[in-house]
Amino acid sequence: MRAFQYLGGAALDGVERLGRATLFLYEVVSGSWMLVRRFYLVIEQVYAVGVLTLVIILVSGGFVGLVLGLQGYNTLAKFGAADSLGLLVALSLVRELGPVVTALLFAGRAGSALTAEIGLMKATDQLAGMEMMAVNPVTRVIAPRFFAGIVSMPLLAALFSVVGVLSGHMIGVGLLGVDVGAFWSQMQNGVDFYDDILNGVIKSVVFGVVVTGIAVFEGYDAVPTSEGVSRATNRTVVYSSLAVLGLDFIMTALMF
Amino acid sequence: MTSSVSQAVFNDSTNLVEIRDVHFARGTRPILSDMTLTIPRGKVTVIMGGSGCGKTTVLNLIGGRLRPDRGQVMVDGLSVPDLNIKALYALRKRMGMLFQTGALLTDLSAFENVAFPLREHTRLPEALLRHVVLMKLETVGLRGARDLMPAELSGGMARRVALARAIVMEPMMIMYDEPFTGLDPISKGVIAKLIRELNDALGITSIVVSHDVADTLAISDYAYLLGGGRILAQGTPQALQQSTAADVRQFMQGLPDGPVPYTYPARAYIEDLFDGGSP
Repeated sequence: MRAFQYLGGAALDGVERLGRATLFLYEVVSGSWMLVRRFYLVIEQVYAVGVLTLVIILVSGGFVGLVLGLQGYNTLAKFGAADSLGLLVALSLVRELGPVVTALLFAGRAGSALTAEIGLMKATDQLAGMEMMAVNPVTRVIAPRFFAGIVSMPLLAALFSVVGVLSGHMIGVGLLGVDVGAFWSQMQNGVDFYDDILNGVIKSVVFGVVVTGIAVFEGYDAVPTSEGVSRATNRTVVYSSLAVLGLDFIMTALMF
Repeated sequence: MTSSVSQAVFNDSTNLVEIRDVHFARGTRPILSDMTLTIPRGKVTVIMGGSGCGKTTVLNLIGGRLRPDRGQVMVDGLSVPDLNIKALYALRKRMGMLFQTGALLTDLSAFENVAFPLREHTRLPEALLRHVVLMKLETVGLRGARDLMPAELSGGMARRVALARAIVMEPMMIMYDEPFTGLDPISKGVIAKLIRELNDALGITSIVVSHDVADTLAISDYAYLLGGGRILAQGTPQALQQSTAADVRQFMQGLPDGPVPYTYPARAYIEDLFDGGSP
């Protein structure tokens, strides 16, 4: 009996939080008209959220490309299809690894930072102070960060894929001796702009909305103590990683 | 309808804030019960009381961050709980609030913090904005600290910058939430002097919430003492200090035991010690 009560309570809490998050995101989006006039607020946050995440994205993209090159070559060579290495690397990156790994790294680097920043602003009365200065913190603080995340995610995912393909080329053509012409021409033939690249971009935009949405909500909803902010940061990384992986499965099933 | 009636009743120009029969509870725990209190215009009014007695709640009710369960909160003839968000923000532009921590925006310099309300609410040309900000910083004696970041300011300086920010929109009143807590004696003296001077020079109404008896009473015109969600006493600082009521004396003189008991309610000590069972 106790177990059922606990389960029911947990489910109700979850639904209630989901409802609060939805209302909150509605408030963010509906209050964002002022960003048209003050677009520099978004630009500032694109720097904090996007540009500062660039290093980890580029380095990871490089290593993922190297590993894909090595592993792909070993398997393809068994079937005498080593020439298709370029296609394999590009499709894996553009369809799946680019958006997904970028989103996971983005959640760990930018999402956690957003949650901690907003949670600490709340804990130190900065958000309350803004309210008392007749400034709505949702439009002034949250909305620019939210849109900066949505803008940054697809750009970061694209860069991840680019670096991955280049380092796959480096290992495949440079080290393992795949023919350079075959590498690029197979890629050009096999990768479709709409089916592969555009779908990958759609994925990364969706991940951007989800990860940044979770991050700003958790920060804004955090219990304003050091423990509360640490828990909220923790939740951001866990929830957004799970959401990314789950949504990726659903979108892959629908798209390809 | 009700608001026009209450305006007729309350539109008394001597009082800027009128709180009438206000009841406020968090969950089932009552914070304020049937509280009635008025803040006269142009005066320094102090609200004192022990920690957790609802002092800050009073400020949050006046600022419209909380709504009372019952009762009226009138500020300058407007019923705060009935205002829509636009009217509430318009009212807040005429209020300044100094938070206990200062609540400076940590990513902006002292100058930009003071400029923040102006940038948000006005379209002053940059040269004029600079003049206004420097004047306000000069008022609190920190014109030279304009380029420091909040992390580089001492506690007292941060509060002075926050005070400059609170007066930058030329408000009709300022609410101070525990302005003396955690400051050294010199900084306390500076803040006390500023509260009094701003009140007199700019004709601002000041509400100071504090548990610091000596510092606060010295600068106040009128004082309320809260306890257990009610007003225990009110009057001029002298009257409160000379009060013979046990609960007022306990607070004023800082006595550890009295109407507010020293021990938290518990069952009998012996019974508790020799129970031997669960903690």
